[in-house]
Amino acid sequence: MTDSDDADVTRDAAEQAAQKLDALLVRLDEALAVMARAPAFAKPGKVPRVLDTARRVMLQDGGCAAVAARAEAIEQAGVFAGSDWATPQILIPSLSRIALRSAEADLVVIEALSELRLLAVSQAWFLHPLMSSEQAHHYLTQVLALNLEMLFSPPGEAERAQQGRLAQVPRNLFRYLAETIGYEHVIDQLIDEIWRIQQQRPIQVDMVKHMITQIAVCRGSGDINWGGSGQGADRLVSSLYGPTQATREDPGLEEYQRRLDSMDVTALQYEASGFARAMHDTGLVSPYHAMMLRHLPEQSDHLLAECLGLSATGRDCLLCYRELVHALIDAAVHPDTAQAVYGLALMLERGILYQAPVAPALWRQLRLPLSAAAEQRLVRTFGDAVPPASRLLEGVLCMMGLPLGVGQGNNPTCQSARALSMWACNDPDYLLQMVAWAARDDEIIMHFEGQSISSRESAGGVATEVPVDLDPVSLLVVPHLDRIYAEMGRRCLGREGDPHRWVNPEFHGWWSGRGFRINVDVATGLLHELEDFLRHFYAAYHPYYNGNQPLIHPQPAGIAVTDSAARFIGWHAITLLRVTLDPSGNMRAYFYNPNNDSGQDWGDGVVVKTAGNGEHFGEASLPFEQFASRLYIFHYDPLEYGEPAQVSQEELDRVIGYVHRSWGATRLPAGALQAEDGVPTPQ
Amino acid sequence: MKKDPNKGFVALLGWSLNAVEAAESFDRRYVVVAPDWAEEYCQQHDIPYVPWNFERLNDRSMEIAQTLKDMGVDVAIPLFEETVEWAGAINSALLNNPRLLGQAMLMRDKSLMKRRAQLGGIRVGIFEEAHDRDDVIRFLKRVNQTLLKLDGDPNDPIHLKAFDKAGCLGHRVIRTPDEVDAIPDEEFPSLMESHLDGWEFAVEAWIHDGKIRFLNISEYVSLGYSVFVPASPELESYRPQIRSQIEKLVKTFDIEFGFIHPEYFVTSDSEMYFGEVAYRPPGFKVFELLERVYGFNAYHALILSFDPKTTEEEITGFFPKEVEDADGYAGCFGVYPRRRVVSRLEIPAETEDHPYFESHELTPPQQETVTKRTAFGTHWGLMYFRGEDSDTLKTLLKHQEDLDFYV
Repeated sequence: MTDSDDADVTRDAAEQAAQKLDALLVRLDEALAVMARAPAFAKPGKVPRVLDTARRVMLQDGGCAAVAARAEAIEQAGVFAGSDWATPQILIPSLSRIALRSAEADLVVIEALSELRLLAVSQAWFLHPLMSSEQAHHYLTQVLALNLEMLFSPPGEAERAQQGRLAQVPRNLFRYLAETIGYEHVIDQLIDEIWRIQQQRPIQVDMVKHMITQIAVCRGSGDINWGGSGQGADRLVSSLYGPTQATREDPGLEEYQRRLDSMDVTALQYEASGFARAMHDTGLVSPYHAMMLRHLPEQSDHLLAECLGLSATGRDCLLCYRELVHALIDAAVHPDTAQAVYGLALMLERGILYQAPVAPALWRQLRLPLSAAAEQRLVRTFGDAVPPASRLLEGVLCMMGLPLGVGQGNNPTCQSARALSMWACNDPDYLLQMVAWAARDDEIIMHFEGQSISSRESAGGVATEVPVDLDPVSLLVVPHLDRIYAEMGRRCLGREGDPHRWVNPEFHGWWSGRGFRINVDVATGLLHELEDFLRHFYAAYHPYYNGNQPLIHPQPAGIAVTDSAARFIGWHAITLLRVTLDPSGNMRAYFYNPNNDSGQDWGDGVVVKTAGNGEHFGEASLPFEQFASRLYIFHYDPLEYGEPAQVSQEELDRVIGYVHRSWGATRLPAGALQAEDGVPTPQ
Repeated sequence: MKKDPNKGFVALLGWSLNAVEAAESFDRRYVVVAPDWAEEYCQQHDIPYVPWNFERLNDRSMEIAQTLKDMGVDVAIPLFEETVEWAGAINSALLNNPRLLGQAMLMRDKSLMKRRAQLGGIRVGIFEEAHDRDDVIRFLKRVNQTLLKLDGDPNDPIHLKAFDKAGCLGHRVIRTPDEVDAIPDEEFPSLMESHLDGWEFAVEAWIHDGKIRFLNISEYVSLGYSVFVPASPELESYRPQIRSQIEKLVKTFDIEFGFIHPEYFVTSDSEMYFGEVAYRPPGFKVFELLERVYGFNAYHALILSFDPKTTEEEITGFFPKEVEDADGYAGCFGVYPRRRVVSRLEIPAETEDHPYFESHELTPPQQETVTKRTAFGTHWGLMYFRGEDSDTLKTLLKHQEDLDFYV
């Protein structure tokens, strides 16, 4: 495919999207006109059509702006009449959180419409009889501050399970709100949120970069009185736009190249350490940094190590594999793929190049011809500013450097994301093999109990739509893995018990224990031998009960995810990484959650932490008891396994209490306690 | 809307929010005649209202006619199958024309209706009345004997329709004697008809002064599932023949005013067969579809065609040109859950993203277990589509049958 074809593809897509929006707006206007004409008693019957059409409009790019432009017509038609939204002066900002996360489409949409209407009021696009533009503005800044995470992360498990496609509506809404009323009103919360996200070191940082750019724009416009706010913004903005002496005023790439050309070694060294500090502080890489790295190989490896911020381990690795590193920099590091620098630095630090197959596998990656399908997918998602092979290589370096930064995007493919992360941790050359198969052959073949499974021949996977919101490696590999995973599940149909027992070890790798425990009875969905399950889990994983043996390989485990009210949401795949004492002396479980943001409130006081308790970048953590209370599946090695642990009844009762107060509340087996009505179906 | 005292005063028989809404926004005075459960709503919203419980005609029937007459009502308009004979009775009093009651009774009895059509020289399929299950088995056998089927050949189906129910309610297709056992007692007596292989369609015709003022052809894609208007160019090519069929029908049934909704078959040799005719608005929201493509309110048209004070200029000026003035094609699809257990409403992305998709009236499921459909049953809600090309629309409507809306 040539560059001009790619450009055509992008342009056509944009044109189609615009046409689609126009067609939907015609329908929205019609629905509003019908409603406006209707006599008062018939209006309620016209609302569903307006709401449903508005929902579809708001799913499109530019849809929220178009709805805001019709705010007065929406109000006049009587969409809010007879509801709380008819009197916006009494609306409570914190309730917006609940409404926008509802599974009920109409509730989400009417809340969004109300927000957009108030935005129009705040911008004085129309006069509301009950609310001044200042009041509306104040209300919206509160709503925005309360829902900031919507600006960053794709939907989490809870939203995906309950809202599906609908979850995109509040996201589009908040982007538009923030862009229109300005970020300066929520700048403090925004900065905190960016730091919280970046502490998890995700591979995908596009949204974070977008937000930082918005902050920079806010700061750039002189007419805003910052007052005391905006502390901490400097580091974020400068890490992207001016991390060093010579880039401080964001001189532009061409000008910076000229400056580099005339620098002596001392000046270069000064620049290099500036870049490295900024990068390791924030996890973000400035395009200038990429430029400098491309400039340096002509200089010395010492400067290169300085510029990557390497420790002794990383420097050794760089010196051993200098030719490979230079080749990687040449192919993967461009101002448009600056994050590759961070991936490279951390990969060197991990020392995985010393595993014999990794370096040759990277040489293969450097020369890997991509299939047309792979090229097309990369270009569609990331554009054609750099060749698709470079984009993929950036993704490979980032995944090898930040195995816990893999996110599943807004897709139900937690198992595939978990597998990628696990391989990057534990078996990096196997990951590179997968990438080669997927990118070059557009096919992956895995084996299940001796029979081969081809991703090409397998029918649909868990995801119904082709995912697009992923890092370059996941983008190419996940669709294959997802189909294979689903096919393995299909081959277990008819077996008694939970299919993960067989699928997990075959899918992830030999180190996933063949021993398997589950505390839910698959047929009834009720809790099953919970205490026994917990005793075995303690025996296998808790250092006080397993002979103080640290966890060796990352292990797949299954979690019953609950929402902040501790209600059951769904089953979710995670990786158990470490169980150890945290800095304050409590036993903690550290795990990887393929979700994009691991900091989640699971209700009943169970709040997953991502920093401050000895977590490595990308790890989530919970006190061991709380973790055990959300666990429903784990694997173990039956040969390295002792007696069920002599855990004190008191401790077990605490864990069981957490279970019974959350996802286990409706799953109590008859006889144990009163069972609630309705047996939930196992999934 | 401001009411014009020089124009007619109509009574709407039965409760239909869409009809009331249309009447409210039209220049005729109106009153709703409906069971007393509608009273509170009407009072709340200032809707003119007379309470009446429609049961079988009885000796109190004169009472409602007198009440309406005293109010100055000119004509009664039936909105549902069950109010058709009431309209006949009331109108024969209001308009001083006793024949109207007889005409209404014909419309309410599918068997009488067919005989009358036959007498008027209109082609109908083979039909008979059934009083019990034995009648049905006999008819099934006879029809298939006539078709020279041997024992063991698959039977041609027959259709069974309750005498006095609207549309697809109580409509069953019977292929084997076993299926006869599943018919409940209360569906007898009913009408049996031979099956006609062909193209089924419906007509909506507004009549005033004995003349057809607007004739729409509604094309069924799948009976009980989907319909669109105006009909595709292929079916519209039969319009002259269809129009002359309807004229024959109007004459045979002696219809001077109002609205009829007959159903026909065209067989492969271009022969038209009369199915049945109703003297009330059609189900499946064809009125809504007409408004979406032609822009006129079909209930306004209904009121106009019934009102004896409607002038010739007014009614000729009201209607657009058939087919020519239609802006594209509008169709709807009735959703039935396909799974036995459902938990939520989820409109398939391919449907929602289709440029023809307009809106839907589906609501989240009220119960988890789906009752098995017996006869054609009632759909759970409609999906509306509109677009420029009738073939695309047809394929799209047909395709919806293979999708799950409730999962």
